[in-house]
Amino acid sequence: MTPHSPGTGQINTLIWIGFFAALIVVVMINLGLFGAVRRFRGGRGRTANATAGAPRLQFRVAGALAGFALVLFVLAVIFTGNALSTPKTTAAGLASLKGEPLVIKATGQQWLWRYDYPNGAFSYWKLVIPVDTEIEMKLESTDVVHTWSVPDLAPKVDAVPGKDVHVIFRADSEGEFSGQAATLSGQAYAPMRTMVEVVSPQRYEEFIVEQQKGIRSGQEDAEKIETEKLQEEEAAEGGEEGEVEKEGPAEENEQPIGEGNEAEEE
Amino acid sequence: MNETPRPEIAVDGLPSRGRVGWFQMATSADHKDVAKILMVGSGGFLFIAALELLLMRLQLAIPENTFMEPYTFNRILSLYGATSIFFFALPLVIGLFLYVAPLQVGARGTALPRLSQIGGALWVAGAVVLYAGFLWTPSEAGVNPLPPLSELAFLSNNGVDAWLTACGFATLGFVLIAIDLATTLRVDRAPGMAWRRAPIFAWTAAVGSWLMLFIGPILLAAFTMLMIDRNYGGTFFADGGGGAPILWQHFTWIFYSGAYMLVLIFAFAAVAEIFSVFSRNPIFNRGAVMGSIAAVAVIGTLAYMQNMYTAPIGLGWKYFGMLMSLALIVPIGLIFFNLIATLKDGALWMRAPLLFAVGALAVISLGLAAELQQSLVGAAWYLKNTTDSTAATHFALIGGAVFGGFAALHHWFPKITGRTMGEQLGRISFWTLAIGTLVAFVPMALAGWDDGQVVDAYKFFDHTGVNFLNLLASIGVLILFVGVVLVLVNAVASVKGGARAGHDPWGGDTLEWFTISPPPPHNFDVRPDVTSDRPLRDIRAAIARRAHEAEERAARESQPVA
Repeated sequence: MTPHSPGTGQINTLIWIGFFAALIVVVMINLGLFGAVRRFRGGRGRTANATAGAPRLQFRVAGALAGFALVLFVLAVIFTGNALSTPKTTAAGLASLKGEPLVIKATGQQWLWRYDYPNGAFSYWKLVIPVDTEIEMKLESTDVVHTWSVPDLAPKVDAVPGKDVHVIFRADSEGEFSGQAATLSGQAYAPMRTMVEVVSPQRYEEFIVEQQKGIRSGQEDAEKIETEKLQEEEAAEGGEEGEVEKEGPAEENEQPIGEGNEAEEE
Repeated sequence: MNETPRPEIAVDGLPSRGRVGWFQMATSADHKDVAKILMVGSGGFLFIAALELLLMRLQLAIPENTFMEPYTFNRILSLYGATSIFFFALPLVIGLFLYVAPLQVGARGTALPRLSQIGGALWVAGAVVLYAGFLWTPSEAGVNPLPPLSELAFLSNNGVDAWLTACGFATLGFVLIAIDLATTLRVDRAPGMAWRRAPIFAWTAAVGSWLMLFIGPILLAAFTMLMIDRNYGGTFFADGGGGAPILWQHFTWIFYSGAYMLVLIFAFAAVAEIFSVFSRNPIFNRGAVMGSIAAVAVIGTLAYMQNMYTAPIGLGWKYFGMLMSLALIVPIGLIFFNLIATLKDGALWMRAPLLFAVGALAVISLGLAAELQQSLVGAAWYLKNTTDSTAATHFALIGGAVFGGFAALHHWFPKITGRTMGEQLGRISFWTLAIGTLVAFVPMALAGWDDGQVVDAYKFFDHTGVNFLNLLASIGVLILFVGVVLVLVNAVASVKGGARAGHDPWGGDTLEWFTISPPPPHNFDVRPDVTSDRPLRDIRAAIARRAHEAEERAARESQPVA
């Protein structure tokens, strides 16, 4: 993982702390174990010296272990707390929010993510967010448990039907970050991927306008031509679906599902 | 021809009891017969589970493989989860407990033998249902069938029902056996065998039985609730109607965490017995090991919320899960310390049981260290549900059930069959397994940590940087599979063709080595009085003393009268 948000930076540090703790454990156990085996392996005839474990030694070892555990616990609480502490929108972020987080609703459904922005715009598969802006993502699921995971930007969170779940993060740099659903959700779970495109605030506002225009024209067309409703909807979302085809390695699964769900939304 | 002395080769021969027919075996309530059914069955299911893992790894050997349909992968995944836990690891552990622990405490049978018999039969019924269900309509709900995916609305055929029935039968069987074992170990210990003198393995069997009595019914309750949801319009785990999908996670994670701890304490106890026997040393500090094993069972089960860091539960509960997980460092660390210290100043006899026991500790140490990293809440927000967590679980459970189980198998095989397992093949299979485990799961851990490859997915994508790691993991699983086959071949061949073992091939200090191999139905002709934690050593010393006195007396009497 390459952290691109303050929260994931903290998470990455904690992962490394955990790794070194694990390394200490593995090295100490195996040095002791294989050292003892090397040193004392031998013929059957040798008489062993009986050793008895002194209780005081046991308490000393237990104390050292408890200290180790306590240090890890405190470090983990500190870094987890840091990862959770709300990162505020900076000057480079979306100014129109006036310090409020940008609230986006992510809905998991078999097997696609839908993102609803303020002002009625929405998009499938790909989320576009402004850089340096505090995002509050509300996660919902319409069917089974889906885990939303974009490792470079935010902690992994389960979207569970009937539960209010949210995750707060702030992307630090522009770019595209891929994600992958992380709880088995049925047949097309493996290709249930997502993409977060972090753009400048100006580009984000343009994107919202584009989406709204596309959605509106799509709806008007749909009203006009009732029989061709489904095809028209496809055209309205054409921009995104096209990208899915270009980049998504799993178009054979995503494409028909996306269409089906859009039809249901209407 | 054979220069080196082989003291384990027969001294007292096999008792001639006639051929035990399958009918007699199937209707026997003898704890040894029930345990044999469990152990032989679990050996077969280990082969099947390894085959299933190999099939899944074949699918995941190259990116975007089309070897398997997605639903086929999910079916094999669901089957693998059930087979490896309910039909390999737990029956092997419980079977060994049921066979060895009553012998170790000098019992002439179990206290409630019919319960064990019914338990064994239920387990067999579960196995039949699982595989009949697989041939008919398999479950596609995964290793732990989380609702709502496992609800009728999303998986409408009866695959999930069959899966729940199969694992439910098996769990009910384990609970019944646990009642029998806990009772036997409570009331039927040899005279003088206070708990402080009981063998570690027997103590752990008692702790494990109580653990199963606690976790088993919780899982059965959850299974029943899901069955009601699926078949009788219940809403226990459905969103709406007052149900909550999260409830399932609480119930099942209590069971799975407890079962994980059961496998771990089994392995620690088996390793403790083997280290003590093969180093000719007593356990460094028995009290500390026994206390720690009980603590692991309790604290480890309380740490179940470690599996729910991404679920919508309060942050405080996640910290509680982490606190319990990290608290495990103390008892598990003490166990490792005392086991390794047992080897100190010993005379290590490097036979296959000791080799597998050392391997078990090494592999478990990798798994537990990886779990330590996973147990930090923030770190888990990245690592959970990646192949890193798969690797951690597999290291711990393969270390516990495969290496620990095989160590115990090699150790007690002479007692069970009267013959030792092939030493040469034992060594070869050990190294094959060790290499296979490392090659399979270290790359898997790296793919999860470095590239966030997700768990349970039927394919991964090119350009995500995990192609080579996955290929390596698949090769590793192939080696692991070969190792498993070698051990099973060794065991099957040794039943008839192994070197004859006496009643006590290793020079053990606990009472199971006091009776002949294989033990008669009533286990012991004489129940010895126990005055220390190494009763057989006392008996040997008494025999030597008497022989010495007899010699002296004879020498005195043969002297001419002055």
